[in-house]
Amino acid sequence: MTPIVARRSRLRIPTWPHLAPLARREARWGYIFITPWIVGFLLWTLAPMIATFVFTLTNVTLAQEQPLRFVGADNYIALLHDPQTWESLGVTIRFALLALPIGVLMPMAVALLLNSPSLRGSSLFRVLFFLPYVVPFVAGVLIWQGMLNQDSGWINQFLRFIGVSNPPDWLQDTTWIYPGLVIMGIWGIGGGIIVYLAGLRGIPTDFYDAARIDGAGTWATFRNITLPLLSPVIFYTLILGIVDVLQYFLVPLVLNQGTGEPGGTTNFLNLYIYKNFFAYQNMSYGATLAWLLFGITLMITAVIFWSSRRWVYYAGER
Amino acid sequence: MIRTTSFGRSLGRSVAGRLAVGATVVGLLVAACGGAASPAPSSAGQSTAAQPSAGTSAAASPSTAPTVPPGGPITIKWFCCLGGGDDPSQLKVEAQVVKDFNASHPNIKLVFDHAAYSGARDALATEIASGNGPDVVGPVGVGGSEAFHGQWLDLDPLIKKNNYDLSQYGKGAVDFYKIGNEGQLGIPFAIYPSELYYQPDMFDEAGLEYPPAKYGDQYKMPDGTMVDWNYDTARQVAMKLTVDNKGKDATEAGFDPTHIVQYGFEPQRDDVRGMGAYWGAGQLAGGSDGKTVDIPQPWQQGWKWVYDGMWKDHFIETGPVFNSQGFNGGGYTFNSGKVAMAENFLWNVCCVTDAGGNWDLGAIPANNGKVTAAFNADTFRILKSSKHPDEAFTVLTYLLGDASQKLLNSYSGFPARTADQGNFFKQLEQQKDDKGKLIYPPHVNWQVAVDGVQFADNPNFETFMPAYNQSLDVLNKYWTRWQSNGNLNLDSEIGKLKSELQGIWDKAK
Repeated sequence: MTPIVARRSRLRIPTWPHLAPLARREARWGYIFITPWIVGFLLWTLAPMIATFVFTLTNVTLAQEQPLRFVGADNYIALLHDPQTWESLGVTIRFALLALPIGVLMPMAVALLLNSPSLRGSSLFRVLFFLPYVVPFVAGVLIWQGMLNQDSGWINQFLRFIGVSNPPDWLQDTTWIYPGLVIMGIWGIGGGIIVYLAGLRGIPTDFYDAARIDGAGTWATFRNITLPLLSPVIFYTLILGIVDVLQYFLVPLVLNQGTGEPGGTTNFLNLYIYKNFFAYQNMSYGATLAWLLFGITLMITAVIFWSSRRWVYYAGER
Repeated sequence: MIRTTSFGRSLGRSVAGRLAVGATVVGLLVAACGGAASPAPSSAGQSTAAQPSAGTSAAASPSTAPTVPPGGPITIKWFCCLGGGDDPSQLKVEAQVVKDFNASHPNIKLVFDHAAYSGARDALATEIASGNGPDVVGPVGVGGSEAFHGQWLDLDPLIKKNNYDLSQYGKGAVDFYKIGNEGQLGIPFAIYPSELYYQPDMFDEAGLEYPPAKYGDQYKMPDGTMVDWNYDTARQVAMKLTVDNKGKDATEAGFDPTHIVQYGFEPQRDDVRGMGAYWGAGQLAGGSDGKTVDIPQPWQQGWKWVYDGMWKDHFIETGPVFNSQGFNGGGYTFNSGKVAMAENFLWNVCCVTDAGGNWDLGAIPANNGKVTAAFNADTFRILKSSKHPDEAFTVLTYLLGDASQKLLNSYSGFPARTADQGNFFKQLEQQKDDKGKLIYPPHVNWQVAVDGVQFADNPNFETFMPAYNQSLDVLNKYWTRWQSNGNLNLDSEIGKLKSELQGIWDKAK
């Protein structure tokens, strides 16, 4: 059977002067309908972004003991020489290398199981997997803090039950902290499962019928049909996963009050940004770090977008 | 996505689009620059001069009862707990103080706002940043105050305006809060000397003498020899008091350090600087320029002693043990009842009852023949950003005056006001719980706490250092690492700590 391969889009969009009158009218109405969003974007997204950029060029602090002044690129230069920045970026990357593959692949694996025609009660499982997603975040972290407790946590009790005499101290041991955080994260994969399920349901059954007639096995069907047709969903989940993991913040904040414990292993870049803003009260430097994070996120997503032309298949493309 | 891009391009070209973006940018720049500047400190004498201040100062009482101003009472926000005060029993007392204040001051509505000690700094910084900061902050110690360096109101004009009598405090105590060109940033309230908490029953069980009850006394070892009460002696005693689940102590062969059920010693581990200060006074920014990191030698000695105590001699809990439910004791492991000796401040008396009904206080060990008992001091302060400094001062003097007895008892704070000091421990001994039972065991050696004042660390370990909060985070990072990794070379770690701190301080110049 011939595998489905991604093709490059050749879609051309006419610019405003080349639009027909009817198309112009339609476009005008389109703009009117999206105006509330545009206004919101300008006020609550673009404006704060510009504000933070302006901050990066000044010496704004919470106490403002020195007169407010323009400092040029001083904050960016300081950033380059700040070991804590690179350390916290390293923490974020180390965690991402573990959390991202699991965060992208595990919901897909569960969705594939839930989509299996031989599974009974799949609706019930869908609900069960999605339920944790609706639990308030802080409550979820606190529950997991108890679950991962070295002495009384259910996970370690289970490990002791099956014969592990010294189960890990998930949240206090520098070696086990990232697996501990990933376990916490797995609890919230319900949203990803639903997205993958929607993608799986959108694959026309004709392809599978044809593959069956061609004599394709399970693996060949998955590799040549499911995976390519699911690639837009994987792409979407990957992008969101990257953004999420780079902005990882609330769990370490709730778990250790943002102290970075144990031994600085939870001092994520986004937490360092927060601390610069509110704990160290250095608004300018916090803003500079925020722009660094924005730049890194932009760069990675740009690379993923660029590479997507080679591995993401859009069935509707002309 | 392509349509959005096209739209953006079109909007960018249109006049309306340019105007919208331009207006946003200009508005934003104005807001950014205007909002970022710190609010000008309102002159205490001018801002609310028209409104009478409800005087609660010890010296100047109002001649007329305060009345409700036409616009309704002025709201004053009291933020707690940068320096403790967040224990449930203390919150109850604080709530009562607020209720009493509001009942007696119709012109002011006092609102109590609290955050747990562990998150209080971030909470306060966030409130200040959002323009929703409190007026009065406390109880707050030196460290908590330094975390908000430059943001405290000089109380001098208010003290003069209200004829507040400072002579009720020792001059040294008043001057403690007089900071260079910033003014009188606080009025003395509570002091917390350090002492050694211990469990007599554990000493009895091990056949050991109790720690000395008086500074200068020697310690009698099990073989009858009399030795100085120093950290070497404390180490030997602590190892005898550290017991595994088979009943072997840490000096015996076959002792199992992975199954310890009772530990011998607990340092004051809230702040690694404070922990070091028990070995000798010092400060990190001790150099002449105040910007060069200088880790005091006694601190380094103390850190190594504690590190070896955790990982080599096993008489101090490691980080994971300290954080485990069985030993944590609400953050102060002595209160778990599984630790024989602990260095801590007097404020720990608030919560030490969890350690059991029989505990006592002894002398802090000496280092190189010199005793240093790290010292805490708390007070209430007013933020420069307060819009109602006069009313805030009324609240402040109420907390330091009418409410002080209740609060001091609740915080276990030794009164800074000279006249109150005599009765403090008597009142403490008479305190009862909800069931009418005395809270503290009889005959606690309170005198050793009083004597500890003369050994207070000077300079104080919490003294200002550049980039205060960030430096604290770095110190904490290293301290948690030392607690969780037993394979470190501490000399090299201290070297790394020094260079990392210096990097931050250089940036803060």
